[in-house]
Amino acid sequence: MAVSIEWYLFLSAAIFSIGLFGILTQRNALMFLMSVELLLNAANINLVAFSLYWGNLTGQLFALIVIALAAAEVAIGIGIILTVNRNFDNIDVTEAATMRW
Amino acid sequence: MVGALAAGVPLFGPGIEAAELTALFPLLTFIIIVFFGSYLPLKGAIPGIAATGGALLVSLWGVADIATGAGPRHETLLTFVEGVAGEGVTLTFGILIDPLAILMLTIVSLISFLVHIFSLGYMNDEGEIDLPRYYAGLSLFTFSMMAFVFSDNLLMSFVFFELVGLCSFILIGFWFREAGPPSAAKKAFLVTRFGDYFFLIGVVAVLGTFGTAQFAGSESFVTIATEALETGATEGMTTFLGFGEQAWITVIGLLVLGGVLGKSAQFPFHTWLPDAMEGPTPVSALIHAATMVAAGVYLVARMYGFYVLSPTALSIIALVGGFTAFFAATMALVKQELKQVLAYSTISQYGYMMLALGGGGYVAAVFHLTTHAIFKALLFLGAGSVIIAMHHKENMWEMGGLRSEMRVTYLTFLAGSLALAGIFPFAGFWSKDEVLYETLVHGLGGSPVLLVAYTFGALAVVLTGFYTFRMVFLTFHGEPRSELAEDPEPVRWNVKFPLAVLGVLSVVAGFLNMGVLKDIIGEENLFLHEFLDGVTMDADLDAAGLSAHHYAEVLESNFAAGYEVAGLSPLGPGALATVLAVVPVIGAWYLFRGPDVDPVMTKLGGLRTLLMNNYYQDEYQVWLATGVTLPIAKVANKFDQGIIDGLVDGTGGVSLFAGERFRRIQSGVVTNYAALLTLGFLLLVLIFALVGGWI
Amino acid sequence: MLIELLVAVTLASALVVFMAPDRIAPKLATALSLLPLGIVAVMWTQFDAAGNALRAGGEPAFASTIEWFALGQYTIQWQVGVDGVSFPLLALTVVLTTLAMVSSWTPIDERQSQFFGLMLVMETALIGVFTALDFFLWFVFWEGVLIPMYFLISVWGGPRRKYAGTKFLLYTNLASLVMFVGLFVLVLGLGGSLTEISLPAITQALEAGELGSFAGIEADTLRVVAFLLLFLGFAVKVPVVPFHTWLPDAHVQAPTPVSVMLAGVLLKMGTYALLRFNFTMLPDVAADFAEILAAVGLISVLYGAMLAMAQSDLKRIVAYSSISSMGYVIIGLVAFTPHGMGGATFQMVSHGLISGLMFMTVGVLYNTTHTRMVGDMGGLADRMPITAWIFVAGAFGYMGLPLMSGFVAEVLVFIGAFESTVIAGAPLFTAGAMFGIVLVAGYLLWAMQRTLFGPFELETDYEVGRAPLHDIAPLAVLLGLVILLGVQPDLIYEVIQDAVAPIVDSAGESLIVSTDSLSEIGGELL
Repeated sequence: MAVSIEWYLFLSAAIFSIGLFGILTQRNALMFLMSVELLLNAANINLVAFSLYWGNLTGQLFALIVIALAAAEVAIGIGIILTVNRNFDNIDVTEAATMRW
Repeated sequence: MVGALAAGVPLFGPGIEAAELTALFPLLTFIIIVFFGSYLPLKGAIPGIAATGGALLVSLWGVADIATGAGPRHETLLTFVEGVAGEGVTLTFGILIDPLAILMLTIVSLISFLVHIFSLGYMNDEGEIDLPRYYAGLSLFTFSMMAFVFSDNLLMSFVFFELVGLCSFILIGFWFREAGPPSAAKKAFLVTRFGDYFFLIGVVAVLGTFGTAQFAGSESFVTIATEALETGATEGMTTFLGFGEQAWITVIGLLVLGGVLGKSAQFPFHTWLPDAMEGPTPVSALIHAATMVAAGVYLVARMYGFYVLSPTALSIIALVGGFTAFFAATMALVKQELKQVLAYSTISQYGYMMLALGGGGYVAAVFHLTTHAIFKALLFLGAGSVIIAMHHKENMWEMGGLRSEMRVTYLTFLAGSLALAGIFPFAGFWSKDEVLYETLVHGLGGSPVLLVAYTFGALAVVLTGFYTFRMVFLTFHGEPRSELAEDPEPVRWNVKFPLAVLGVLSVVAGFLNMGVLKDIIGEENLFLHEFLDGVTMDADLDAAGLSAHHYAEVLESNFAAGYEVAGLSPLGPGALATVLAVVPVIGAWYLFRGPDVDPVMTKLGGLRTLLMNNYYQDEYQVWLATGVTLPIAKVANKFDQGIIDGLVDGTGGVSLFAGERFRRIQSGVVTNYAALLTLGFLLLVLIFALVGGWI
Repeated sequence: MLIELLVAVTLASALVVFMAPDRIAPKLATALSLLPLGIVAVMWTQFDAAGNALRAGGEPAFASTIEWFALGQYTIQWQVGVDGVSFPLLALTVVLTTLAMVSSWTPIDERQSQFFGLMLVMETALIGVFTALDFFLWFVFWEGVLIPMYFLISVWGGPRRKYAGTKFLLYTNLASLVMFVGLFVLVLGLGGSLTEISLPAITQALEAGELGSFAGIEADTLRVVAFLLLFLGFAVKVPVVPFHTWLPDAHVQAPTPVSVMLAGVLLKMGTYALLRFNFTMLPDVAADFAEILAAVGLISVLYGAMLAMAQSDLKRIVAYSSISSMGYVIIGLVAFTPHGMGGATFQMVSHGLISGLMFMTVGVLYNTTHTRMVGDMGGLADRMPITAWIFVAGAFGYMGLPLMSGFVAEVLVFIGAFESTVIAGAPLFTAGAMFGIVLVAGYLLWAMQRTLFGPFELETDYEVGRAPLHDIAPLAVLLGLVILLGVQPDLIYEVIQDAVAPIVDSAGESLIVSTDSLSEIGGELL
């Protein structure tokens, strides 16, 4: 019995919303990074779901790319967080606000 | 040459053919002095004397040429701006030598020559510094005036008219290290520039109207204008702004007159001239007698054929001239400085020349220009001699009794004064009388305006006699009123020689044209009249439209000024003028002769104050400059900085301000950016929804 | 190929100077700038242009055309050539650049190689502006002038150099944008009839009446819109009141040699472009607006002079009087008479020389006195006689003293404007504008009297003495040129006439005398 496409979309939307909520509310940079991961994975779920739905591999391919991208992003992100930590002694994203005008 | 004359062989040509040398000699001198002046012996005086002496010889030769039949010479020397074929005028520099021009060249070169020699005594002997600049200025001055005199077209006249103004600026401001001279120089240039503004409009208008600015010949603007009025053939003439031919000619004439009034220091542009006394005295002599001030009157004489076409212009010239003659003479009555008296007498005397020109007396005006050049140069150089003797004190109340110590100066100064006062038989008598006579007969012929002008002129004769001899008695007679006057510094030959030459000439120059006696000696013995009429020339001066005779003819034509001549013997007016001149001289003798002179003029009270302050003419003109123009400029500047630039800076300011505010959304907090991103996305969705009609 | 050589040599010189050490850069750059001067001198001897480069039948000298690349339907070309209008300005550019460089020796005392390199870059761009005949190419050079100028003002300038430089750059750049739009209105209106956007092609297509409607706007409206946009664009550059306020700031803040270039050549770009675009391409529109344009010129003359009168900084005085002088150019151009247009072009050259002379002289005084304020100094003629007398001569040149080039230019403009049949009431406009010669005499004489004459006064802790020879030399050369052109204007006036005559002729037929209404007024006066 196949799960109908709507359920995948609901799941994706739910994860996306959680991620978005995380971005808008979290001050901890690690949490922030995880929220971004959630957003990306929400997109991945959509891609894979539609790939299955249409019987087309393009979506899965894109999902793989996004995963690779996410991995790279985490690497860079954690690097940034470490630097932030070194400079500000914490990883609160609202405090690292000196690089503006 | 005398031999050739006697033999009846016309030896003409060289003089007038080489007339441009009168200008080129001084120009060359100027260039030499500018580059090598400080290395020259006497700091440039020698080349200056050589150049003006050479110019004098050339001009005298030219006079002889014309007296023996040569001329007129009219030639284009240099094309300045080539016009486009068929459109646009061609601007040229040319030379026009006719009796008037050669006469004026002679006067200028003579006076300039003598002034150069006098300068040896006044400048070199007094140990002045910067003399190369002085002599360079004199040379440039002479060059400009010469070229102005032989100009064959109005544009060229304007060019050298302006250069004359520049030279006066340089020379009046010669002692630039003091405060006064530079200011006087500025004033002289500025006031005359104001007049020249109108002159330049006139030049442009002449070029626009006639397509040519030539003075003489069948293609000249004078001829075209005459024909347009005489025959109604107006194809050569384009009037502007809807004026008729006669009216437009008047307008042009009056515009050019603006320059004349400025340079010849006629009311209300006379204010620069007394201030110009700040310059060295020889320069004053040059300016007043032969160059700058004479340039204005000469210009009217030069284009007299044009002025006679307009009765309105002539009346204005006569009125301004007559009024100035009287008005300036009143101010001369109370002045205490020697040169100031002479300055106002210059203004007054040029008023007579204008009066003559306006009154239809072309020959009289030129005659008075000639005699005045001689006696005014003499008076200024005489004053210069006194100033040397008095160690540069000019106040006449500190002089007195100089007669016995300075024989040559006294005698020549007296001759000049008698000429200025118009006492028979000195030069000024003949010319001034002719001026008044010509005005009177034309006035009685049906031009009441001229009678008014004549009255002014006649009254001025009385004043002239008085102030002249007040000056003579105060300076030379009585007892010395200061220590300096008791022991004046002696002057050398280089001062006495020019005085002597001019002194002799002021006695005899009047015999050139004894107009008063014309019924007795016959018209053919009025030498100057005959000379200016071209009688001595082989060519027909009438045809070129330059003879005195031709001017008189046009003057009396109905299409032109329409003057008429009343039949009146010159003897009566002559006698009247003599009386008018002699009585005040006696009066001055009565008042100022004694050893203890009463400063009688102080009894005039308030009137004296008014006269001392020159009717407050300077004040209102200064007020026009600093009280009107300058505040307007300041307001304009405020407006410019505040409003116009304010708008520009405001535009920048608004952008900056907006940016300043707008950049605050760049908070640096990642969360805010995320929120903005989300909100922006939602907004976009909303807009698409609304526009796309999903809702 | 001389023009290509000229551009290449100048640009290469710039690169060399950039790499040279600061110590030798000034003299090296001056020496190298003699190369373009020499090339232009050679061009002078071979100059054989006939007519106006933009109009049919015009044969520009040293012309060459190389296809560059295609942009849609249009071919962009390297197309250069000079005619009687551009050649005198080209000569002015190379002469002034060399002299300005000599006058920079004293005041520029840091980063010399960059300064002189930028001067040469600017010279390259200016050469390009006056020789390019393709719009695209021309526009590249036109904008290219701004960049070195911006740096020259904002690096080597006075205390407020940043403000002045930015204002200059933004203002003129904005104007370029407006002008660009204006030209493209024409290009788009001409549509398919145009295969290249070279200036002659556009001009000739317009003359042939190819202008169609675009985006539903009629051709007649397009013309007017294009004219206005172009005029606005160039008016800033000229500058015309009320778009002039960048000029005094830029002049005062810029170092003296840069002021010389700014007043001497950069302002002429504006009037040159006005002549090339507005008056050559759209003479009929110009004639329609003749009174308004003449009034704009008149206001520039009088208002500029009034502003100059209110200043006490010598540089500001000269800067504002430049506005006044440029007003004469506008009046001369709009007259559509041979002497009017020729005189206006002559005035461009003449004013370039005279204003250059004035700025340089002020600079020499400043080098010694370290002040430019009229009230701070007096009697300088006592200590610096040669500089002072050159200043006097230059000032009289500015006042239009005869036998100096300013007089020729002004009198030609006046003659041309007076008999203009395009401007209703031309004599009145002319007489009004001529009052400028009185005002200019007023403020310059006043400034001279205060600074040069009278007792010497200036508070310094060093001895004020004569200026060095290399400061005086460029002044003397300029003064010589001013007098030369004043005595022999035909040296350049003949070729100018040749190039402006076709414009006057083309406008001639379509123009109608419109003095009727004014003649009635005039008639009632007398």
